[in-house]
Amino acid sequence: MEKSKNSGRAGYYLYILPGMLGFALIVLVPLIANFAISFTTWKGIGTPRYIGLQNYERLLVDAAFWGSIQHTLIFIISMTILPIILGLVLAAVLFDYISAQFGETLSSFFRAGFYLPQILPLTAAGVLWGWILNPIGIVNAVLKAIGLDFMAQNWLGDASYAIWAVSAVIVWIQVGYCLVVFMSGLARVDPSLYEAAELDNASWFGRFRYITIPMLMPEIFVVALTTLIAALKVFAPIYVLTSGGPDNATTVPSYLSYYHFFTTNRVGYAAAISTLQTLVTIMLGVFFLRMQSKQTEGER
Amino acid sequence: MNVFSKLAVTAGMSLLLAAGVAQAQSKTFNVWWFELPDTSQAKAWTKALEELKAKHPDVTINFEQKTFEQLQKAGSLILNSDQAPDLLEYNKGNATAGLVASQGLLTPLDDQFKSRGWDKILNETNSQLSKYDANGIYGSGPIIGIPVHAEFVSVFYNIDMFQANGVKIPTTLAEFEAALDAFKQKGITPLAYGTVDSNAQHLLYTLALTQADDTWVKSYQGLKAPLDTKPFLFAAQKIVDWVAKGYISKDSTGLKGTGGADNLFSSGKAPMFVSGTWNNGNFASSIKNFKWSQFVFPTPKYSTASTGNLFMVPKSAKNKDLSYEFIDLILSKENQNLQANLGGVAIAADPASVTDEVGKRNVELFNEISGKGGLGFYPDWPVPGYYELLIQATTGLVNGSTTPEQFADRLKKAYDDAQAAQ
Repeated sequence: MEKSKNSGRAGYYLYILPGMLGFALIVLVPLIANFAISFTTWKGIGTPRYIGLQNYERLLVDAAFWGSIQHTLIFIISMTILPIILGLVLAAVLFDYISAQFGETLSSFFRAGFYLPQILPLTAAGVLWGWILNPIGIVNAVLKAIGLDFMAQNWLGDASYAIWAVSAVIVWIQVGYCLVVFMSGLARVDPSLYEAAELDNASWFGRFRYITIPMLMPEIFVVALTTLIAALKVFAPIYVLTSGGPDNATTVPSYLSYYHFFTTNRVGYAAAISTLQTLVTIMLGVFFLRMQSKQTEGER
Repeated sequence: MNVFSKLAVTAGMSLLLAAGVAQAQSKTFNVWWFELPDTSQAKAWTKALEELKAKHPDVTINFEQKTFEQLQKAGSLILNSDQAPDLLEYNKGNATAGLVASQGLLTPLDDQFKSRGWDKILNETNSQLSKYDANGIYGSGPIIGIPVHAEFVSVFYNIDMFQANGVKIPTTLAEFEAALDAFKQKGITPLAYGTVDSNAQHLLYTLALTQADDTWVKSYQGLKAPLDTKPFLFAAQKIVDWVAKGYISKDSTGLKGTGGADNLFSSGKAPMFVSGTWNNGNFASSIKNFKWSQFVFPTPKYSTASTGNLFMVPKSAKNKDLSYEFIDLILSKENQNLQANLGGVAIAADPASVTDEVGKRNVELFNEISGKGGLGFYPDWPVPGYYELLIQATTGLVNGSTTPEQFADRLKKAYDDAQAAQ
């Protein structure tokens, strides 16, 4: 009996094997290689030379690296916090108000519209926003046309505006993802809860606070985790919109790593940045998963 | 047959297929360049590809349009793989061509250089950027690349605007600043400038070269000593002053040189644009409403100028003979004259055969610069990563987040690191 149980288990491992192989080849081996390279000085071609912890020592006093960490904190706001808040409010409005008052079709139309930036290739969206926001772009042209010249700014080229302009674009991209997940979450909420609340004269905001948010907690955790990880390794919008500029005002660790890998040919240093970034991401990921499992245990 | 046997058979068949494809590819001549299709070089080289095809009807020609940035960033990785083409245009200089040459990723061309008579076409000055030593420093070592055109940074100017505002072509830096001021007084921002790409450093380095002598240029480009920042400090201060005086718009930090500042010039909004000869094709075809020309920025001797980027044959190229034959074609008198007549700066054109106004002017201006030994090269060559650093730091100067002193310090730190690491 015992034997058959074990042989059955071995069968399961066969199913896992292809995925594990893929994971090992695509994630694990490069991760270990990256970690090993971070202790070397290497130009990307030729033979790496072992230099111990020198890359990490340099990293700790690199102003560009610490600046990039600060920018990451701002991008956590624009990729995680703001889209979740906006996504929740929009999901509730579409689900609870637009759908009820104007019908499912209009609600679906809005949902699709908000989700569209997720479908657009990021590079295309980036180039598009680059045109919209450049000094002679449509935003400034419109502002000047309606007499608001003083509001026309060098959105992506001025160090004091660039990070907020990029953040706004990121919010535009991310909201659709949060919205769709939350709306699918709301579909499984028992309508009788809302009906009972309405009978008790609960306001819309009351229903939102005491029913929608608690019922969507599992979705909020999932979205927070995925968007947080995305924020920690954000690269494409920065690359396309500002290349980390102006004057490093929007540099993030991923871009800094890329910059050292491809332009300064300091591959070892780039690997050290990636290693540190991976560690931070894993730590935050584990912390979030723990929080989530605690929360689900609490529900039980 | 169990699952593993089936998998093994499938894998075996895939390998056979791949081998078949590889076999077929040996009949394919793969060539890459990054000059944009509307440039005189690209047009002339496309013509040469047609001639090559006519000579070898059995060969499939596979041309891939690359971008400068693509090869600047990933070129060394590609050359270090089995995906390298048979022939490619690659960025000259220590940080790019020098790096891959020092790693032995390129085919030395010394034998071809002599046997095919390329040495008769390219003199010593024109081939100094073709040689790199074991450390990847230009000027000596085996020949690994062949230039077939030249390029230089000059001042594109709007003749109509100059005449309308009574401005003459300046011959000194003081006169240049007076010209800038004359336009500013009329409410015109005189300089089109974009710091999001390499345009940032072209103006900056041109200004630095107003303070540079032979020793400084040789030392700077050859990583001979720790950086003497004086010329850069002067240039940085000038940029800051010009922004303060309104000669350069703060909006420059949101514009590229190509696809931004160039449009300000070609649409007649800005009377001057300090940039390279790669704009010629675009300006010749797009400017219809005013007359334009070029003058060399007034410096004692050196200009931001060099022979063009290099055609290289990767070590792993499968059709080296076809590559050499293509270089023969693009160095031929016919192709060189064609390039000049399309408005390009051909390296070996016969001046008597050049009738195109832009081509003639550019050949003359290049001869003026190279005639006095004034090829100052480009500021990003000596140090890997300098290209981006110069963009970021110059942007900082224009938007006020970097002082000239900080600018010079940033350049010096990266330069001295690279210089010490040799």
